[in-house]
Amino acid sequence: MIQVKGVRKSFGKNEVLKGVDLNVKKGEVVVILGPSGSGKTTLLRCVNFLEIADDGDLTIGDLSVRFKHATKKEILRVRRRTAMVFQNYNLFNNKNAIENVMEGLVTARKVPAADAYATAKKELDKVGLSDKYDAYPSQLSGGQQQRVAIARAVSLNPEVILFDEPTSALDPELVGEVLAVMRAVAREGITMIVVTHEMSFAHDIADHVVFMDAGVIVEEGTPKEIFTNPREARTKQFLDRILLKYDYSI
Amino acid sequence: MGKLFDVALVFEYMPVILSRFPVTLLIVSTSIIGGTLLGFLIALVRLYRVPVLNPAVVSYISFIRGTPVIIQMFLVYYGFPLLLLQVGININRWDKLYFVLISYMLNNAAFMAEIIRSAIASVPAGQTEAAHSVGLSGFQTLRRIVLPQAFFTAFPAFGTRVVNTLESTSLAFTLGILDMLGQAQAIGVRTYHLLEGYVVVALVFIAASMLLEKGFAWMERRLIPN
Repeated sequence: MIQVKGVRKSFGKNEVLKGVDLNVKKGEVVVILGPSGSGKTTLLRCVNFLEIADDGDLTIGDLSVRFKHATKKEILRVRRRTAMVFQNYNLFNNKNAIENVMEGLVTARKVPAADAYATAKKELDKVGLSDKYDAYPSQLSGGQQQRVAIARAVSLNPEVILFDEPTSALDPELVGEVLAVMRAVAREGITMIVVTHEMSFAHDIADHVVFMDAGVIVEEGTPKEIFTNPREARTKQFLDRILLKYDYSI
Repeated sequence: MGKLFDVALVFEYMPVILSRFPVTLLIVSTSIIGGTLLGFLIALVRLYRVPVLNPAVVSYISFIRGTPVIIQMFLVYYGFPLLLLQVGININRWDKLYFVLISYMLNNAAFMAEIIRSAIASVPAGQTEAAHSVGLSGFQTLRRIVLPQAFFTAFPAFGTRVVNTLESTSLAFTLGILDMLGQAQAIGVRTYHLLEGYVVVALVFIAASMLLEKGFAWMERRLIPN
């Protein structure tokens, strides 16, 4: 369904992705874990061409492209089958909530404005923002902004939504509302690739967990396999650190 | 010879000098409009690092910023006709005003280019990335997301530039343009009352620039959300 094969990416001399393969089935929720600098975010950004990978292939449904040789048209086609939720929300600052959701529908997909408005309303209602249609990003809390961003992504009805650390920039008390919305999205059967440090989300919602380190996939499996019985020492070490399983005994 | 400074003359000269104000307005408006359009193109050349053109406009901008307006005006007035004569075009009979308009437009193009470029560059990269992620093309992103935000950033600097241009137009009289200062000069030569004319010109400039500043401040409040 979504297949990434042999993706490589360097920034200068620093090789961030060293040949990564990833397969995601339709309707699956894949969570990518890993320490910072392991290449998780770069992998996501390569999938919708926010970074141009140096090598590798991408297949989304019946659309196959080589990262290196993708034309502008192909890039646009890939982007119209994907949507992204960013760490810093990245709502359009010059547009209010409903316009943020409508923008991609009307301008990119040529959906009639009235239909786009109805869709936008429906999606904002679903994320619990029925009273914020006219609010500008500067008038919304981080959690509300991220919920608008999720509504914006879902409204495009993409084949996959890429979540790039969607709760990392939030105040702790706002994380819950965003995770709840993400759970609802997962329940709708939308394909999701999620980079996150929220272990509870990975544990409860993911169908498949991928652990990356130093630009390669170290280990992958079901949440149960990864969390209760990691095979690789690096995975175990990372999970212990994140889940605070320190041993303070003297 | 009479008094050294006669207040009555200030009132007498006022209407005569004020009748030349449209010349000043013409220089300001054409150079701002033309300069903004040309400056926008130059800004795009710089932002997209268009090969060959980019280094050319970089030197152009540093030349304009590094030389006084009056020198630029003389170069255009005396240099352009010579340059064009090389390719067989004779513009020696052109009205002087055209050379002034061209000089001020070229001057403003460089400053506007920098205002527009820095305003566009100040829009966070995340805005462009989000636009791309929802499927907007490069041009759609620029038109619908980046430029509207850049506009608000550029607006105050744009207003300052307009006021600066207004003041600097007074140099046009050095080419013999009969603007307000040229008129004051002409009166002074005839009547030996130079100072009264200059006071009138100063008063008109103060009033005009205050009006412009207030106007821009008002527009800023009206236009910019939040």
